[in-house]
Amino acid sequence: MPMMNLAEALIDGLIWSLRKDPKVTIVGRGIAGHGPEHYAEDRLKAEFAARIVDPPTSEAAVAQLGVGAAMTGLRPFVHYGTAVFAYEAWNQFINEAANVHYMSNGQLKAPVTFHLFHGIRGGGGPQHSGSPQAMYANNPGLEIVLPSGPRDAKGLIRAALASDNPTIVIQHALLLGLTEEVPEEDYLIPLGKADVKRRGKDVSVIACSRSVIDALDAAKLLAAEGIDIEVVDIRTIAPLDVDTIVASVRKTGRMVGVDESYEICGIASELIATVSIHAWSSLKSAPIRVARPMVPTPFSPPLEEAITPGAAKIAEACRRACAQ
Amino acid sequence: MSATREVKLAQFEKMLRMRRFEEMVIRLAQLHEYIGRQHLHIGHEATGSAVALSMQAGDRIHTTHRNHGYVIACGGDPGRAFAEILGRKDGLNGGKGGSWHLCDASSGMQSTSAMVGGSIALATGAAFGLKLAGEGKISVAHFGDGTLDEGVCYESLNLASIFELPVLFVCENNSKAGQRPSSMLAAAKLSDVPQALQIHSVTVDGADANATRSTFAEAANRVRTTGKPVFVECTLQRWPGSHQVKAAFPTGVTDLALAFQPDRITGQHADWIKRFDPVLRSARSLVDGGDAQRDALVALDAQVCEQMEVARAFAEASPFPDASAAFTGVFA
Repeated sequence: MPMMNLAEALIDGLIWSLRKDPKVTIVGRGIAGHGPEHYAEDRLKAEFAARIVDPPTSEAAVAQLGVGAAMTGLRPFVHYGTAVFAYEAWNQFINEAANVHYMSNGQLKAPVTFHLFHGIRGGGGPQHSGSPQAMYANNPGLEIVLPSGPRDAKGLIRAALASDNPTIVIQHALLLGLTEEVPEEDYLIPLGKADVKRRGKDVSVIACSRSVIDALDAAKLLAAEGIDIEVVDIRTIAPLDVDTIVASVRKTGRMVGVDESYEICGIASELIATVSIHAWSSLKSAPIRVARPMVPTPFSPPLEEAITPGAAKIAEACRRACAQ
Repeated sequence: MSATREVKLAQFEKMLRMRRFEEMVIRLAQLHEYIGRQHLHIGHEATGSAVALSMQAGDRIHTTHRNHGYVIACGGDPGRAFAEILGRKDGLNGGKGGSWHLCDASSGMQSTSAMVGGSIALATGAAFGLKLAGEGKISVAHFGDGTLDEGVCYESLNLASIFELPVLFVCENNSKAGQRPSSMLAAAKLSDVPQALQIHSVTVDGADANATRSTFAEAANRVRTTGKPVFVECTLQRWPGSHQVKAAFPTGVTDLALAFQPDRITGQHADWIKRFDPVLRSARSLVDGGDAQRDALVALDAQVCEQMEVARAFAEASPFPDASAAFTGVFA
């Protein structure tokens, strides 16, 4: 199996989508980011230049270009770069794309995919560090995908473009260079299937995106202390794989929810609600949340570090869970 | 000394301070990689200095993230600006904003929005506030050609026109053919757009200090006397380092002597340095017009460089804020 970084795997997934379905069209540039992995996009441009359009900085209109075209049968992949740019297209995402199928009573569908880079990324400051997954998750009608690594990114992007629903794929800006073995052939990872990334018996750490990588790092710290954690990667927030989450907590009896969206009404909170409702009787200790505190993201490095969920904070939460 | 000469020299000093500030930012970015990507104002000094000269106490400017020049042109403290860019305690925003959000409200540099389309709408709102305050103050919207890609730009221009708001719209148009342009606009002349919305609009060579100075003096005066918006499109030849990801000096460290020895200018970007560097153009114009001696300008430059070294030392000596500061100041 070849080694690929997340940017290369994402582009590979897009190339398979373009090869398999003539309806797939790319809107946007800088899909592999503007960092050291940007070269990955060259492959896409070389093979499919005619199916890529480079739009002006018009986020709202570009979103609606995608939604309107999707309603005619096209499958647009609309790239925004930094996730906060898509705030300009809030109405188009949640009030148009998400409602189309329901309010037409099934006459219409909008198979558009929006692609964003989220997260605290080192110096992004208050306006470029947003993680909007929870805000999107608070609306029905949207599928929300958060890959944690290259192999998932490739299979999930294929599933997003094959889906008949509006789908938002949210990558963590700091994961683009993450490398692992990725199958060369075409494959899909179905939306709504969580993946247990590490088996363990003491605490279930339920996470998505970069927080999965942080949790796996925390697992190494904790293993030395004799605490054996299970890491469940939800992979998609909507649909949410409640069964896999609940089965893990039933086994360990303890739970830590982790995500970079905010503490209040965030993904970690929703995971805790899910576990509390469905696995209450199995809990040996109160669930713990590791998420972004309710402050804007400061620029200064020590301040940014103070508000970033990470391996150390996850490990500390797991110790607290086990001490109860 | 005639008033005009005084103003010309004041503008040149602002331009030099803006240039030397940005060159120090490049050095800081090379020394402190964590500060990340910088959006430099090099090549735009003739525009920014003229805008600042046209502003009066109590006027407010909202900028984009290509903002450093305006902080300095408005009289902001370079040491505190460097400290903010380094995320230090003594920074203009206490380290919370960084380069992309520098603000110094006391000098009229009201805010930086790093979102395309942010500043034009905020400045329109500021003009609404200043109009109702009734003290004759104006607001200034600084933005690039990319802002015209955004829907909110048209909405803001329309609001300013129908509500008769005192906004000076400053469009720094550095879109460049050949590279990917910074905007994609069907309009051939950007000032045609506000014109269609009944906003008085002019276009000026944004690298010609004499032209920008008179254009902005007149434009600001028109906003003040009529209470209505004016749109100025400043055409600029993009500085080769404008979109640098890694800090570098593609056109070298500015050598004022080259203003008077163009034959010494060589290299890949010689054309930009010869024809479009507003600092060198201005120095040449001041000497050719008899407004200044070469030696006096070189001496002024040495003084400015020394000030920037002092400012840099202040910023680098400033500590990082305590991590607990991350949790304060969310609400007023």
